[in-house]
Amino acid sequence: MSEYLNNIVYGVKSFLTGMKLTMDHFRNKKELVATLQYPHEKWPIPERNIGFNHSEYNLIRSRLHVDIDDCIACMQCERACPVDCIKIDSIKPPKGSEIDCGMTSNDTQKKMIVSRFTIDMSECMYCNLCVFPCPEDCIYMVGGPNAEKHEIDYEFSQYKRDGMIFDFADTTDEAIRDAGGEKWLDQRDATLTKHNDGVQLKGEVKSVKPEPTAAPIKTGAPISTTKPAAQTTESSGELEIKSFNGISDKMCRGIAKKAFMAAKRAGKDAVAILADVAQALSEAGKMSDEIQSILDRLSVSPSKAVAPAVEAGGDIKVESVPDTPEAVEMKEFDIKDLNAIEDKMVRGTAKKAFIAAKRSGEDKVEAVRKTLADAGKLDAAAEDLLNSFSGASVELSAPVEVATLSESAEEAAVEPKGDLPLFEISDLNGIDDKMTRGMAKKIFMVGKRAGKTRTEVIADLRLGLTEAGKLDDATDAILNKLKSEN
Amino acid sequence: MTSIFDSLQQSLAFLNLDLFMLLSLIALLGGTVIFLVMAVNALVAVYFERKVSAFMQDRLGPMEVGILGFKGGKKFWGGIGQTLADAIKLLTKEDILPKSSDKFLMILAPFIIFSGAFLTFIGVPFAQNIVISDFNIGLFYIVAMSSIGVIGIILAGWSSNNKWSLYGAMRAAAQIISYEIPIGLSLLLVVIVSGSLHLGDIVQWQESNRWFIFHSPFTFLAFFIYFISIVAETNRTPFDIPEAESELVAGWMTEYSGFRWALFFLSEYANMLIVCIVASIVFLGGWLSPLHLINIFPESWYILDGPLLGLFWVSFKAVILIFIMMWFRWTFPRLRVDQLMYVCWKVFIPFALANLFFVSLWELIF
Repeated sequence: MSEYLNNIVYGVKSFLTGMKLTMDHFRNKKELVATLQYPHEKWPIPERNIGFNHSEYNLIRSRLHVDIDDCIACMQCERACPVDCIKIDSIKPPKGSEIDCGMTSNDTQKKMIVSRFTIDMSECMYCNLCVFPCPEDCIYMVGGPNAEKHEIDYEFSQYKRDGMIFDFADTTDEAIRDAGGEKWLDQRDATLTKHNDGVQLKGEVKSVKPEPTAAPIKTGAPISTTKPAAQTTESSGELEIKSFNGISDKMCRGIAKKAFMAAKRAGKDAVAILADVAQALSEAGKMSDEIQSILDRLSVSPSKAVAPAVEAGGDIKVESVPDTPEAVEMKEFDIKDLNAIEDKMVRGTAKKAFIAAKRSGEDKVEAVRKTLADAGKLDAAAEDLLNSFSGASVELSAPVEVATLSESAEEAAVEPKGDLPLFEISDLNGIDDKMTRGMAKKIFMVGKRAGKTRTEVIADLRLGLTEAGKLDDATDAILNKLKSEN
Repeated sequence: MTSIFDSLQQSLAFLNLDLFMLLSLIALLGGTVIFLVMAVNALVAVYFERKVSAFMQDRLGPMEVGILGFKGGKKFWGGIGQTLADAIKLLTKEDILPKSSDKFLMILAPFIIFSGAFLTFIGVPFAQNIVISDFNIGLFYIVAMSSIGVIGIILAGWSSNNKWSLYGAMRAAAQIISYEIPIGLSLLLVVIVSGSLHLGDIVQWQESNRWFIFHSPFTFLAFFIYFISIVAETNRTPFDIPEAESELVAGWMTEYSGFRWALFFLSEYANMLIVCIVASIVFLGGWLSPLHLINIFPESWYILDGPLLGLFWVSFKAVILIFIMMWFRWTFPRLRVDQLMYVCWKVFIPFALANLFFVSLWELIF
C-alpha cells in the first residue's frame, strides 16, 4: 500500500517537474529560440584565424569587389590572375575628343573608359594576387578588414551559374559609342546574339531523326527509294565515330569506337580504320553477323564516290518527301555558313541580318544580300557564297541523276530487314489504363535491355498483357499500329 | 428563450412555415453554426498547438505563410495562414481507398466520428442561453454522445484491413471505454452536489455558492481526475497510444487521406473543445467571472458577468484548459499500454469512488 501511495506521490512530483521545465522554455522563448529565420536574418561572418594577421590577409570566405569609379583599366589585375577569371575591356577615346573619363579617388586622371569588367567568381580561387598590383587600390576582397568598405555577402547564392559572373563596369552604351567604341559594341552584341541562340537551343542539337527503315514493306516507287537513301547518307558519309552506334551490344560498340579513335589518331584512311576495327573486334571475340554487316556497309560507302551519293541522298529526300523538315534543313542556309566570310565586320553585319530575317521569317539569303549591299560590303566572295545558297535551292528542284538514285536504292536493299529500330517508350503512353501502361512499359524496358527488335518486343507485349488479362481492344489497336507504323 | 433553438423558432415564426419546414430550417442554421465553430476551432487550435510545441522546443514553428500577404507578428507569432493553407491542401489531396479494405465501412467511419462530435455540440452551452438545444439532462447527453466516436474508430480500424489500424482501433476502444468510468464518476460528484444534470442549473448552483473546484477537497481532486481522463479520452499525448506514430504509424488513421483524414482531425480538435468547455462549465464556473470563485464580494461587483462577457469567460477558461492539454502533450512521453490501464483502473477509479463516498458524507455534514 505504501509503495502504491509512494508511486502516486512520485508521479505527481515528476509530473510537476516536467510541466515546469516546458513552461520555462515556453516563457523564455525570446532567449531560447534557436531558429534563425535565414533569408531574413543572417549570422555575421566569423573571423577566421588562418595564421596571418587579419589586416594583411583577408581571405576569409568572401568575394572580390571593384570600385569601378577608381579603375583606370591598367589591366594589372587581369594579368596577375592565375585562373584568368578577370576580364577587362577598355576603350580609349580618340585624340582631341572632349570626353572626360573622370578622376580616381587618388586624383589620377583616367584615360580610358572601362567598357567591361567582369569577375567570374566561380573560377576565382581567392589567391588575392589581383589585389596587390592595383595602383588605385580599387580591387579588393570583401569582408574581414574591408567589411566597412563594402557590405558582407557570404552566400554567393545565385539562381543561375551565369550569376556568378559579376559585372562591375557601369558605362552606358552611349558613353562607349561617344568614345568610339562602336566596334566593341557590335562585337559584344554579336557575342550576345550567339549566346542567346545557344540558350534557345536548350542543349539540343538538331539532328536528323533516324527514320525507320522498312523499305521492302512499301513498294511505292519514289518513297521506297527515299528512306533508304536517308540511311545511306547517314552511314555512307564521312566515317565518323557515330557510324558505330548501329552496333547494339555495348561492349562491342565500345571496342569498335576505341579502335576507331586509335586508328584515326594514327592518321589512317577510312578503309584502314575499318580494318583495324574489324581486327580489334575479332580479337575480342565479339565479331558477329550484325557487326560484320555494319562494317561492310561502312566500308562500301567510302570506297564509292561519296560526294554524289550524299548529294543525291539529300536531294531525293527533298524532292520526294517535301514535308520532312529535317530533310530541308540539310541544305538550309545556316548561320554557320556565314563564317566563310573573311572580313569580321562584314560577317557581323551579315549575321545580324540573318538573325533578323530568321526572326521575321523572310528569305534569309535575300535579306543578307540586301543588308550587305546597303552597307556597301557586298564583295565578290560574299556574293559567291550567297549565290551558292540561292543556287542550292534551285538545284533542289532539278531532276536527280537516275544512276545515283538506283545505286542508293540498291544499297538500301542490302539493309538487313530484321534490324528495325525499336519504337520509343513514349509511344506506349496511348494506353489509357494506368496499370496496363505500367506493365507494358516494364515489358518494353526488359525487351529493350535484351536488345530485342520491334517485332519481338511487340510479341512480348501482347503475350504479357494477355497473360495478365489486360489486353483490351484499345491496347491491341495501339500495338497493331506500332507494328505497322513503318 | 433559453436556447438558440427556441429563439430561432420564435423569431422565424413570422414566416408561417409548417412545423416540419421550420424545424428543418432551424436545424440547418444550427448545424451551420456548429460546423463553423468546429472548423474555426480546428484552424486556430492547430496553429496554436504548433506554436506552443515550437516554443516549448525552442523553435519558431510556422513563420512564412500569411493570409493576403499578412503573416502576423514578425518575431514569434508569424505564419497565421499556415493552417488555412494546410486545410486547402488536405481537401485537394488524392483520396485513397486501399484495394482490400471494406470500402463502405471505411467511407462511413469518419462520418460517424464526425457526427459524434457534431451531435455533442448540440448540448454544449457557450454561454448562458447560448446553446443550440437546452436539455435538462445536458451533462448526460454530452457524456453519451461523446462515446459515439469510439464506434467510428473501431470501424475505421477494422475496415482499413491493416494491422496498424486494427491495433490502434482496439487500443483506442479499450482506452476510451476505460476512461469513461473516471469521467462519469467525477461528473457524478457534481451532479450529487448540485442535484441537477442541467448545465445551466449547475452553473446556477456555482453562482449562489462557489466554483465546484473549490467546493470541497473532493471536488478539487475530482477536477484533476476528470481533466487527466479527458486528455486520455481525446487520445492526446501522453495517452496517445492509439495513434502512437513510432509504433503504429498513425493507428486507426493510417489508411486515411485527404478529406476523410481531415474529418478525423476536425473531430479530434472539436472533441478537445467540447471536453474543455464541459470542464470549465462544470468545475470552473462556466460563464461566471472569477469573482464568483468564493462569493464574498458585494453584489455590485458582479458587473463582469453578462451575456457577452459570459461567452468570453467560457471560451477563456476553455482556451486555458486547451493550452494545458497542449502543454501536457509537449511535456510528457507516451505511456505504455499497461501503464495507461494502471493509471485508470488502479488509481483514478478507486480515488473517484472514494471521492464519491466522501463527498456524500461532506454534503451530509455541511
